[in-house]
Amino acid sequence: MTTTTQLDPTTVPSFDVADPAFSITSDEVHAARERSWYATTNYGIAVLRYDEVSRLLKHPKLRQGSVQWPAHNGVTEGPFAEWWASWILNKEGEEHHRLRRLMNPAFSPKLIGGLVPRFQALAAELVDAFERPDHCEFMREFAEPYAARVIAIMLGLPEDEWPIIAREATNIGLAMGVTIQSELPTIEGALERLYAYADALIDDRRANPGDDFVSTLVQATRDSDTLSDQELRDGLVLLIFGGYDTTRNQLGLAMQTFMAHPDQWRLLAERPELGGRAVEEVMRVNPTVRWVTREALEDFTFEGLDIAAGTTVHLFSESAGTDPRVFGEAGFDLTAERKPHFGFGGGAHHCLGHFVARSDMSEALPLLARRLRDPRPAGESTWLPDSGNTGPMTLPIAFTPGA
Amino acid sequence: MKIIVDLNLCQDHGQCAIAAPAVFRMNDDGKLEYEEIAEESRRAEVEEAADVCPVQAILIEG
Repeated sequence: MTTTTQLDPTTVPSFDVADPAFSITSDEVHAARERSWYATTNYGIAVLRYDEVSRLLKHPKLRQGSVQWPAHNGVTEGPFAEWWASWILNKEGEEHHRLRRLMNPAFSPKLIGGLVPRFQALAAELVDAFERPDHCEFMREFAEPYAARVIAIMLGLPEDEWPIIAREATNIGLAMGVTIQSELPTIEGALERLYAYADALIDDRRANPGDDFVSTLVQATRDSDTLSDQELRDGLVLLIFGGYDTTRNQLGLAMQTFMAHPDQWRLLAERPELGGRAVEEVMRVNPTVRWVTREALEDFTFEGLDIAAGTTVHLFSESAGTDPRVFGEAGFDLTAERKPHFGFGGGAHHCLGHFVARSDMSEALPLLARRLRDPRPAGESTWLPDSGNTGPMTLPIAFTPGA
Repeated sequence: MKIIVDLNLCQDHGQCAIAAPAVFRMNDDGKLEYEEIAEESRRAEVEEAADVCPVQAILIEG
């Protein structure tokens, strides 16, 4: 028996990405990558190799691809549709660039650097508070409070209100699923509560400006242009939503990867200066953002493939990050020099909050490696679907307590 | 002031061209082009371009 039809190099692979059982990191996807740089899907094409993903991520003929998501799912008006349309991620051209220029200084690495001691103290406090000395539900006891309290620290919110941030950000996340329409009352309720937070913050920092993140945004000016109150509140709610879920999930995925590579976890405990490398290496092989979406602005040809205006292009980040053409058969190694991964997207829409995410995770991981020795799964974990944005829902682990 | 971009690091994200469009721009192929010498009056925006570069590939001399 042979499988020649499956391996025929002239056949373009095809994926049903809407099937809940589809796994974007599966052997099927990796095998397809060896046959073809792209695959067809029910939503357009999927790009599988490093070089093509890198070029298409920044291609001038492509725009960010999620602007139509609510409309495609029947949500065309109301507070959620309006908020979605306001996202800097969903703007293009000069409209986008203006917002980016005004928002960028608040996300500067210089400003973020001052928060590092607080990230370190937070990670230690959470581990100290674990209910059991040698066991935890990693998402509930670490990843969720850490991600939410980092946002509280950035925004200057009381840290004990973190469960509200976590809950409302998760509720807004329901909008990323195909059940968006039936979940709309929950989503819009969450949006309303986060807007109330944002409005109070904006008022407070206008009255009492400091050198903190929100004050920097409120005071941002460029050629006498400033952010309006509406732009500020839309942006702050986007930050809470975009910063929470991604960090939470990425921390859970990091724990998953390191449990499979205990030698690298021990190395990180011994050499905490590898924290930054740990974040990059985890995001290369196990990124929470499993695909980055683009949409063709006009007809164009790329590597011999005609791409029609309006085509959705999914850039598969894990497939690109493990492409043997670039990374060989090398495994997970914190000491290796690597080309950049695509876990933060790229081009004009490169993640605005990446310095924050890199900084907070590169503090958390070495501390966890030191305190949670030899972590291993302890019971059943539950997972989001392996496409779009993924991560563990629950991740019970056992470990040997470290000093 | 003199501007040096480490082209081994540069990934053509184009954030510098958003921050300081008078000095950095992306051509039709999506590749970076930039002025190696910039007017002193542009210092604030050039510093911001260096600051926001995702891969920190921009160095300012002088």
